[in-house]
Amino acid sequence: MRKADPGGGEMSRTRTKRTASGPAVATIVMLRLYIASDAPNSVRAVANLVAICNEHLQDKFKLEIIDVLETPLRAVTDGILVTPSLARVSPSPMVKVIGDLGDKRTVLHALGIGESIE
Amino acid sequence: MKSNPRALDRNPVGQESGPGFDGRILQLVKSVPELRAIESGQVDAVVDPATGKAFLLPDAQRALREQARVRSLLALSSDWCWEQDEHYRFVSLSGTTPGNSAPGYEGIIGELLWDLPFDNVQEVDWDAHQRRLQWRATFRDLELRRTDRAGGVRWVSISGEPTFDEQDQFMGYRGTMRDITLRKQSEFLAQKPIRLACDTLEALAIQVCVLDSFGTVIMANKRSGAFAAGTRGIGAGVPEGANYLGVCDRARGNERADGVAIAAGIRQVIAGESPLFRHEYVCNSPSGRCWFNLTVTPFPGDGATRVVVLRENVTERKRVDGAARAVVSRKKAAERERGERVRGLDHRVAKGRFIANSLLAALPRKDTQDLHAGLEPVTLTCGEVLYEPGEPIRHVYFPNDCLVSLLATVEGRDALEVGLVGREGMVGVSLALGMDVSSVRALVQRTGTAMRMDAAGFRRELRKSLPLQRELYRYTHAKLAQARQTAACNRFHVVEARLARSLLMARDRVGSNQFLLTQEFLADMLGVRRVAVTKAAGTLQHRKLISYTRGKIRILDRKGLKAASCGCYEAVKDL
Repeated sequence: MRKADPGGGEMSRTRTKRTASGPAVATIVMLRLYIASDAPNSVRAVANLVAICNEHLQDKFKLEIIDVLETPLRAVTDGILVTPSLARVSPSPMVKVIGDLGDKRTVLHALGIGESIE
Repeated sequence: MKSNPRALDRNPVGQESGPGFDGRILQLVKSVPELRAIESGQVDAVVDPATGKAFLLPDAQRALREQARVRSLLALSSDWCWEQDEHYRFVSLSGTTPGNSAPGYEGIIGELLWDLPFDNVQEVDWDAHQRRLQWRATFRDLELRRTDRAGGVRWVSISGEPTFDEQDQFMGYRGTMRDITLRKQSEFLAQKPIRLACDTLEALAIQVCVLDSFGTVIMANKRSGAFAAGTRGIGAGVPEGANYLGVCDRARGNERADGVAIAAGIRQVIAGESPLFRHEYVCNSPSGRCWFNLTVTPFPGDGATRVVVLRENVTERKRVDGAARAVVSRKKAAERERGERVRGLDHRVAKGRFIANSLLAALPRKDTQDLHAGLEPVTLTCGEVLYEPGEPIRHVYFPNDCLVSLLATVEGRDALEVGLVGREGMVGVSLALGMDVSSVRALVQRTGTAMRMDAAGFRRELRKSLPLQRELYRYTHAKLAQARQTAACNRFHVVEARLARSLLMARDRVGSNQFLLTQEFLADMLGVRRVAVTKAAGTLQHRKLISYTRGKIRILDRKGLKAASCGCYEAVKDL
């Protein structure tokens, strides 16, 4: 239960339009988020992703956060070049989103639940 | 998301920037979306697959450097630092010292502060907090409490300030968080004795007020207030801030004197003239009289002059004391009275002034001064013979509580009671009639005291005192009438009725329901044989009118005995 965001709509970058929750996703969505420590875009990406997942996926997702400054080889293995990047590992096919995940629509689309919006 | 202040050191290309740097990135990143992301400033780091290393972009480098600098400063005073985005969602929380993750706060990212499970803030307070955030105000030392998974209570203090980008656009909040559990615990422990003292003070049944040097109440326990409703009286429920002396000075009516005394006493203690003032006073409350004990003492300590006023309701104690005193005083009074009576009796008997004898008592006091002077107390013992028929009368007797039987003898052997003298009469009436020789045998039937007077003295007094003469004539007449009635009774009435009559007469003369009369005497009294007495007494005893054992007679039912007696008792009783 989240209260109304007092600062909602102020910033264009991270619009969090209130929409109806998507249909229940039967399978667990496996996500990997590649970040660079506490760099500004990275922390924003984490916050945005957690907020979106909590709202639309509830407990039907697994999120792994990988700090490329700590474990860069993980990123190399997964073919990630820049951070922050979000990768949907399953269900396949693998989908990637680059940036601070402020555009909710893009993120939802990438997660496979974008069809339900609008 | 781990705390990593030295992340920059591990960045192999951390310090790099400039055109060469940009060219290197362009070598690595070729796809359009990634380049676009880099251009729009949404990328922090780039991974070089060839070297297997990541390097930060200049903006991220600066940000992390700045972050590291700030955190090292913050580490001096806080445990964590945090950041919120423009929607007040937590985007980062990291310990300011290595290895200091935020236990219990893992789920904080993406959450709003007021949605976290802190349990000491009310909804309305959160609303106020959110308003302050909308004003972009800095908040400090917001103390929050939560219960951790182990059930322990943890406290954090959180402070934050708004952040703005280069265009003065609001970016969110950032701030610090400290674990203040230990401080709170020690505060709680430190407050414990104080709280205990306060609770004790509140629990006291005594009203406690502390006054300053002007008499203003600077502290009062709740009892003072509680008493205000229940009872009245000076000092009841004087609230904090009121002036105690003023209250006392304003007392009116019955309380005025007490009020003046109390005010004077308090002023003395304040002035240091007296180390203690006590005052006990009464007030009338709707529930009755109440006693109060007021004690004023100086407040200990070196600070400003203060006094403590204790006001105790001692009504209950007073009542108990009063009841105990009343019992004691009643006992003492009874003892005193008894003692006086005993002493007085001895005294009066010794001086010949004890007048249990109703014949003597009937005489006017002023006429009998000399008569009393001639009387001497004697003890007459059961079986003692005072006169024998034909013997001169040497003394007259006024019985107090003894019983003397007058017996007529036939040929010196058989006897018949012809009269019974007790406290109502005199033995030796013949003397009053001018005969100094007795015509009957006077036998003491019950031991007791009597007043005795020698014959010559009696005659002298008789001549002098008209009231004595009158009383004796009246008595002699009654005696004669009684003898006549008894004679008739002995002739006509059954033994049982006569026994009842005799016992009633004896009772009147002794003034007691219990006396000793032998069967022999009873046989003489009634002029019958002992067997007849036994039979008659048995019948009365059977009817539960008397009990009779070994000469000890107890009248159990006087009315019943009267009914059982013949009318002769009633006929002579009032003579």
